[in-house]
Amino acid sequence: MSAEPLLRVEDLKTQFFTDAGTVRAVDGISFEVYEGEIVGLVGESGAGKSVASMSLLRLIESPGEIVGGEITYKGETIFGLEEGPDGELREREDMLTNEEVRTRIRGNEIAVIFQDPMESLNPVFTVGSQLREFIELNRDLSNGAARQEAIDMLREVGIPDPEERYEEYPHQFSGGMRQRVLIAMALACEPSLIIADEPTTALDVTVEGQIIDLVDELQQKYDTSFIWVTHDMGVVAEICDRVNVMYLGEIVEQAPVDELFYDTKHPYTDALLDSMPRPDRTVEELDPITGVMPEAISPPSGCRFHPRCPDAREACKRIHPENREVARAEGYPHRAACIKHDVFGSDYEESAPLENGAGADQQLPASAVDSTSTSTSTSTSGESERTDGGEHDE
Amino acid sequence: MGLLRYTAFRVVQAIPVLIGITVITFILANLAPGDPVRLMLQGQEVDQEVIERVERQYGLDRPLHERYVTYMVNLLQGDLGHSIHRDRPVTDLLIQRAGPTLLLVISAYAFALVTAIPLGIIAATRRNEPTDHVSRIVALIGVSTPSFWIGIMLILIFAIQLGWLPSSGLVYPWRSPEHYGYSGYLELAFQTIRHLLLPMVALGTLQMATLMRVERTQMIESLQGEYVKLARAYGVPERTILRKHAFQVAQLPIITIVGLNLSTALGGAVLIEYVFNINGIGRLFLEAIQSLDYQLIMGITIVIGTMFVIGVIITDISYAYIDPRVTYGDRD
Repeated sequence: MSAEPLLRVEDLKTQFFTDAGTVRAVDGISFEVYEGEIVGLVGESGAGKSVASMSLLRLIESPGEIVGGEITYKGETIFGLEEGPDGELREREDMLTNEEVRTRIRGNEIAVIFQDPMESLNPVFTVGSQLREFIELNRDLSNGAARQEAIDMLREVGIPDPEERYEEYPHQFSGGMRQRVLIAMALACEPSLIIADEPTTALDVTVEGQIIDLVDELQQKYDTSFIWVTHDMGVVAEICDRVNVMYLGEIVEQAPVDELFYDTKHPYTDALLDSMPRPDRTVEELDPITGVMPEAISPPSGCRFHPRCPDAREACKRIHPENREVARAEGYPHRAACIKHDVFGSDYEESAPLENGAGADQQLPASAVDSTSTSTSTSTSGESERTDGGEHDE
Repeated sequence: MGLLRYTAFRVVQAIPVLIGITVITFILANLAPGDPVRLMLQGQEVDQEVIERVERQYGLDRPLHERYVTYMVNLLQGDLGHSIHRDRPVTDLLIQRAGPTLLLVISAYAFALVTAIPLGIIAATRRNEPTDHVSRIVALIGVSTPSFWIGIMLILIFAIQLGWLPSSGLVYPWRSPEHYGYSGYLELAFQTIRHLLLPMVALGTLQMATLMRVERTQMIESLQGEYVKLARAYGVPERTILRKHAFQVAQLPIITIVGLNLSTALGGAVLIEYVFNINGIGRLFLEAIQSLDYQLIMGITIVIGTMFVIGVIITDISYAYIDPRVTYGDRD
């Protein structure tokens, strides 16, 4: 795509300075959001998705700090550093001040929908007054007009009897209804970009479906761009145009959604997809990703995924790959940070597989031990193996 | 249920509590050692016949439950009995002494709230900075120092050493300036404040220290709330977040503490009135105990108990008024 992106993030780094050490929550990510598209930010808990999205609004609280990179939105610099005459990094002159970010960016240009609709609304104010406050703050509307707009917006997101509901308090709304209110807040400020930070995670599945449909419909109507933060590949498949997969503060794969699903280039994305139930693929059992994600305080050497990666080889411990274009699809680059691709020109092919690599495959059937362990109390292990075999035959 | 019906409901609910207070007080006062008639005679030798006549006159010869019923019937008519020792109706004594105590307790609370809330907020916004540490130490001293000792220290410093403020008595703003020989209402107001300052601080320090810590904790919690994050994300100015979004949620426990600490404050008033020589209910209470004036002891206990119950009811009602999540006993 040749048009200027709405939002461009380059080499963004956000760190938290804790007593235990520096947590590199976001460690050099780059991505773009174009007008009218929904961009996914996917990863496990702790991958840095939320920190990344809050960095875009410069809403990182102490001890956290954006320490590097550049965020450009509609030609304005939300964050940018340059080298001063003394060689020290300093904020660029064209970078928006805190006050400018607050008045010109937050709400009216980039709005947010948070994960927890139960906690995100203030319990002691009416839903309507909270909605109206944000509208008044971010749009040039008189008192009465803002109220009318708030009611119209509540109707727009599918809340019945908006006039009466306007006067009610958050505790009188169900979870799904509160999430609709949060969506109404975001849309009512008429932003060009909405960051949806796991907006459906706290909801049950039927409500999740309704909310996704609602957002899909409203997104087309208002042509708003979205950054959709989630850990759920199913939601990604349903709603996103392009996807960024995050692992330990880095983007490890970036591609249009179909490409990502059908031509996966990074083993981590593969693992994520394998761990998700899919109707188009019948598998005997789901493949969970082995191990847990390491702490961002002391990430592994080389490729950060290598201790859990089934394809890991000796070279992966040494080489820390950046996200490189490995293919092109629909005019967008398909980037991946894995040295098994030729563009990296590494010695991956020649280096020896790691224990967890080839070995992991051997261990996987052993993970059936997990499923049998529940029955070992009543039956011998031999019996449970046979039962297992029977299931495989089906 | 509307707020009005809820209020009525709470008042009705308080009746058994109040009856309980009178029963316990009545029994305790009658179980206490010492014979009031003999005490009144102060060791003078009199005929047994005279003692019995006096006992009959005050109904002390009748069984306990009968005396209780009589007492309650009188109580409902506003008659708390007759102080044997002072030879005056207890109700009169209480009305006369209520003013100074109310003035003291209300001003102590006003002092505590006016100082504690801003200080608590400042401590919360400068968490773990020097300001916060200072406020923590001040609060710790405030909570752990007895109010009468603070009172004595204040007298030593401000009344005796510096001579800035009077060490005893109060000036009542409801009296006329002429009563004190002041030139006008301005001087009356000035003198009222001058006299009130030390006892008010002495009594209010404990409340201030408690409230300040609670305010700090509540504000910290409130400021970490998701709704504050949301308000920030929509460009709400930080001072509006502090004053409105975070503040309103944080005040709910403060109301509870003010209501429930009323008993502590009234208890503290007893000592403070003694230290500062204020003729309030607290001092009357001490004097009544010293002279075993049962009618008076009972009267004061019942009044203080009732005030506490009223405090709790007001707490509940204001809670229901401020926090929309509180339902009035049923669901609509």
